Amino acid sequence: MDEKTLAAIDRLLPQVEKPARYIGGEMNADIKERAKETAAFAFCFPDSYEVAMSHLGMKILYHILNKQPDMLCERVMMPWVDMSDLLKKEGIPLFSLESRTALYDFDVVGFTLQYEMSFTNVLEMLSLGGIPVLSAQRGEEMPIVIAGGPCAFNPEPLACFIDAFVMGDAEKAIVEVTRLIKRMRLENKPRKDILLALSQIEGCYVPSLYEVTYHEDGTLSSFKPTNDQAPSKIRKRLELDLEHLDYPDAIPVPFTEIVHDRVSLEIMRGCTRGCRFCQAGMLYRPVRERSPERLVELAQKLIKATGYEEMSLSSLSSGDYGQLAELIRELMLRFADKKVSLSLPSMRVDSLLKESLEQVREVKKSGLTLAPEAATQRLRDVINKGISEEDIRRSVSDAFQSGWSSVKLYFMNGLPTETEEDLIAYGDMARLVIDAYHQVPKGQRSPGLRISLSSSTFVPKAFTPFQWDAQDTLETIKHKQKILRDVLKIKGVSFNWSEPELSHLEACIARGDRRMGKVIYRAWQLGCKMDGWREFFKYDLWMQAFEDCHLDPAFYANRERAGDEILPWDFVDIGVTKKYLWLERERSLLGIVTPDCRNGCDGCGLTRFEGACVS
Amino acid sequence: MKMLCVFSVTDRLKYIGHLDLMRAMQRALRRSGLPIRFSQGFNPHILLSFAAPLSVGMEGMREVMEIPIEGDVSPEMFVEILNQSLPALIRCQSARLVEDSSPAPMSQLWAANFSILPLEYQDEIMAAVPVLLSKTSIPAMRKSKKGMVEIDLRPLIHNVLVKDNSIQALLALHSSGTCKPDLFIKALSQCAGLEAPVPCKVTRKALYTQQFSPLEDM
Ligand code: SF4
Repeated sequence: MDEKTLAAIDRLLPQVEKPARYIGGEMNADIKERAKETAAFAFCFPDSYEVAMSHLGMKILYHILNKQPDMLCERVMMPWVDMSDLLKKEGIPLFSLESRTALYDFDVVGFTLQYEMSFTNVLEMLSLGGIPVLSAQRGEEMPIVIAGGPCAFNPEPLACFIDAFVMGDAEKAIVEVTRLIKRMRLENKPRKDILLALSQIEGCYVPSLYEVTYHEDGTLSSFKPTNDQAPSKIRKRLELDLEHLDYPDAIPVPFTEIVHDRVSLEIMRGCTRGCRFCQAGMLYRPVRERSPERLVELAQKLIKATGYEEMSLSSLSSGDYGQLAELIRELMLRFADKKVSLSLPSMRVDSLLKESLEQVREVKKSGLTLAPEAATQRLRDVINKGISEEDIRRSVSDAFQSGWSSVKLYFMNGLPTETEEDLIAYGDMARLVIDAYHQVPKGQRSPGLRISLSSSTFVPKAFTPFQWDAQDTLETIKHKQKILRDVLKIKGVSFNWSEPELSHLEACIARGDRRMGKVIYRAWQLGCKMDGWREFFKYDLWMQAFEDCHLDPAFYANRERAGDEILPWDFVDIGVTKKYLWLERERSLLGIVTPDCRNGCDGCGLTRFEGACVS
Repeated sequence: MKMLCVFSVTDRLKYIGHLDLMRAMQRALRRSGLPIRFSQGFNPHILLSFAAPLSVGMEGMREVMEIPIEGDVSPEMFVEILNQSLPALIRCQSARLVEDSSPAPMSQLWAANFSILPLEYQDEIMAAVPVLLSKTSIPAMRKSKKGMVEIDLRPLIHNVLVKDNSIQALLALHSSGTCKPDLFIKALSQCAGLEAPVPCKVTRKALYTQQFSPLEDM
């Protein structure tokens, strides 16, 4: 950027709420020289700095891209509302943290899509960054806009804004994509040639090369490539050898406090427990682990490079990690004197090892978090959450005996087949915990029992056995939440629930088709952004956007799909087949539980990927 | 023993808050592997003591802090190793070993020297400096715990020099009286007949004791 703009940025910063969000300069942030041949990648996170910097995936890819001698990667986050207003007012383009380069000046602009409620921020960032929001309107000199992350698996709602999606593990794909784009840009190849070339990379989806038609009732009648070189199915990228996959040995350490301010160590990827509501569980199969030796080595490097005082083990279900007890023991041994505490966030109720639990407490005492998801055994069988009441009782008893006194329980309401009985059972669940607490003798337990129950509204997601199901209507959700509030008027128990309107919109977008892009565009034009933040979420404007686009939200959120319907995301091959998902749906309705396939393959389809699930 | 360090915070890092700076120092010290003394208790941390918090938006050229240490390390070594662990825009310039019993820098602090660079109305502001200084009292409103209180800035302005387009102001910074640069700028802008305070680039150049010797030499 020119001197004048840089000076203007300097004048803006004192006027915003938290200027430290926009300055970079953190320990381990990479500032690389940009030569003509350097591929410049803007890693865009469509949420605030605090959320973005808590995200592990960004740190992994930032590290990998900056490690390439012919590339550089800089970070761009969604500016807070005060900053985006000022940028617009002063006509300053959105810029990267590291070198303050305008977004439009990069070769590749890559978004990570973590949740649907950040989609309007993608549009806002493009627009602030001086890049036409619609893919079709981008000129030759504009960067290629790509996107990845879990929400890229149903890319259709963003099809008109993103030039190319990368599906699945991105460690290698992102380097291939970036290198190809830079090479072709240096050769002055036209944009459409670059996009066609991208479509030849495995895991890469270029929406402009496909065409969708619809039946009169609004369902899809066809989805096919318009170019015979474009593949009709997009297969996700799968990296099987996590052990040798690049992982950062240093990560930027923010100055301001962020949501998860610590080292997070990805101990494994994937989960095969097969919870039927869980999209990540299906998307990231199969399970791949890093060895304890590699993890200890990484942990030591990361602590040394960051000075962090806390470390967490991260994965979809850390309790299932094969050598968990050894890993924890080893980490504790190395870090006790360095005063580093260890936390295990997504620990599962039925895999809590009592021994490791006690060890963790030695270092840092926080509450116990359990996610039974449903309060009755019947409903837990429907969703294949393989936890029994006995498991829960045992876990909380263990925790209370070890001196913990706060328990958080997470549930989902609105799950398929849920009845009033399932809701009333929340109360039994709370009482079970209270009983378990009182059974520990007074002198032995910590005083001040705190129980909190949280219930989020179930959002049916693509690529799950519930992808065909209807979400409860707003009225039903509100009615159910009222029942829950009444049932949980118990002393010492607090209850939180999610905003129903937000879940409803999430359900619309999560299973949206290409036409949803119009709604997102319209909502953004009407002023929607930062939708994931309660204070900025404008449900009415979203509903107006649906109306303006002549689309019915209920068609997306509250409609049960037929088994033979073409779903907008059917063209993506995540490994697990549609047939298998349907089978799981049928089992679900019969209350049949599917065991973890670690103990025997269930034929989900992943073996079609070379090298996957061979023992 | 304690290590009395002089350091600077410059460029973009002027936008980090005091707590952010403390956290950054803690982490830098943890990364450094230097023999630092930690507090006892469940959440061990380093008992850093800063002479005075730096306001957001202000660079500091010779800030002072004290770090409790245990074990042997020479000040030169300390500076070198610490700088390897600090973000590039925070630099430790020098260090000196002092006894645990020596007074905390905060207690010895009396005044600070600021460089103030007006970004607009330069001529008017420069012309207003002698006018302001000729006053026998400069009433100003200052926020306090009890709400706004009136104070007299004049005795808190120890010295002002005008050089080219910048103003060097030695202002009181002490528990019994403080003249923050923004109050000084406001008064100066008023003197120049301007309604709003002129935007300025403010840098804290150095900290001083009551004898007006550099705080780090106390
Ligand atoms: S292919 Fe078999 S073992 Fe592999 S994830 Fe699917 S069910 Fe599990």
